Amino acid sequence: MTTPQDAEQVRLIEAQAAPTRFARGWHCLGLIRDFGDGTPHSVNAFGQKLVVFRSGDGRINVLDAYCRHMGGDLSQGTVKGDEVACPFHDWRWGGDGRCKQVPYARRAPRLARTATWPTLEQDGMLFIWNDPECKAPPQDVTIPRIDGASSDEWTDWHWYTTVVKTNCREIIDNVVDMAHFFYIHGTMPTHFKNIFEGHTATQYMTSGSRPDLGDAEGGVKLLGTSSLASYHGPSFMIDDLTYHYDHGDSQTVLINCHYPIDTNSFVLQYGIIVKKSAELPEEVAVQTAVALGDFVKLGFEQDVQIWRNKARIDNPLLVEEDGPVYQLRRWYEQFYVDVADVTPDMVDRFEFEIDTTRPREAWTKEVQDNINAGVVPAVARSSGPSE
Amino acid sequence: MTVRPDNRLADSPMVHVACRRCSANVLARKSTWEQTSVQWDAMSVARCEQRHDARALCALDGRGIFLGCSELTESILCAVSAGELALVDEQ
Repeated sequence: MTTPQDAEQVRLIEAQAAPTRFARGWHCLGLIRDFGDGTPHSVNAFGQKLVVFRSGDGRINVLDAYCRHMGGDLSQGTVKGDEVACPFHDWRWGGDGRCKQVPYARRAPRLARTATWPTLEQDGMLFIWNDPECKAPPQDVTIPRIDGASSDEWTDWHWYTTVVKTNCREIIDNVVDMAHFFYIHGTMPTHFKNIFEGHTATQYMTSGSRPDLGDAEGGVKLLGTSSLASYHGPSFMIDDLTYHYDHGDSQTVLINCHYPIDTNSFVLQYGIIVKKSAELPEEVAVQTAVALGDFVKLGFEQDVQIWRNKARIDNPLLVEEDGPVYQLRRWYEQFYVDVADVTPDMVDRFEFEIDTTRPREAWTKEVQDNINAGVVPAVARSSGPSE
Repeated sequence: MTVRPDNRLADSPMVHVACRRCSANVLARKSTWEQTSVQWDAMSVARCEQRHDARALCALDGRGIFLGCSELTESILCAVSAGELALVDEQ
């Protein structure tokens, strides 16, 4: 018979409920080409339903989807001129949130306004600014330009969208989680550093090959990757990601972004562009983007499998070889409090560089054991480092 | 939501290190010779010359991530050699 353990000796997992508030910041809703066709689109985000439409003047507008008259769903309506018309009684709402016209009335309500979200159209993507305090986006909180996205020397976006049923803090944690890249994504981290400063959180990582996983399709030999990936705000990461092959380098930009649907689910999106070159002409570059996108997709699917079953944990038990999970969460907290309550420790620069010597020894041995045993582990191959 | 303290800092907290170049004062912790964490504040960031130069450069190039200051890295290594900063590994 076993005796009950002393309760004080058992380390307990502690977790508060996920926040009911949604992060302040720019969120990418997807590609402009998927919203700009002149019809209203519905988007579930921030615990609400939104309508996204391009008006006659060419602007993309984002409003609360429910008409303030009798609650009709504007995303089921039509765009008429510069306004979206409700399918219920044809009330017309402008991008500024004002009711412009009620066709059967002598006068539209002049003062009432519906909720709107500031938008940004940049590098083929549509962003909206979420702020529980309803303030305009500050000038110095921006999404950096991605030169390749508007260049003929690069492919177009190859874009993926999927719904993940967990709180979005789980995907943020990946920024600092070096070891999961080996166990979940089949990479061999050789250098790993995090930097948090202001509203950006950066992961710099190089990785070597995993000979136990075999060569990628077509017998192409991947030697390793170099990745400089930064979150610009709470939800939008740009990853300058270079794949090193024995025949040369392949330069890519990987976007990893999300927006919350509600407290316990989010829309995950990722997009890839690949630089064309003499070795990588148009058609091959596009194929490469598709192939890398599929690798990344596999990587996220492995993440999702973990998230679906794991516990939310506020007090992770860390060893020296783990990344700065607590400091990352301190950084992330700035987006969930009022601007006036952002404290210096949330935004002050913090650097954390991991000594990869010991992990590499352990992982090299595991790889060799796999090869000796003829075992191919079930992890994603050659996936992008940042996710 | 309150963020908890890092369990690793309980036994070996971060200690003050001054940069030999600009005297910026940061908090540092070294797990091994190859592993370092650095906590800056607004004043140390404002003092750092390499950081200042990087800012000037990144006005030209959009992404502008400052990876670190080599003078500060050296200063932290010196602090270890001088016995002012202990390696967690050797405690």
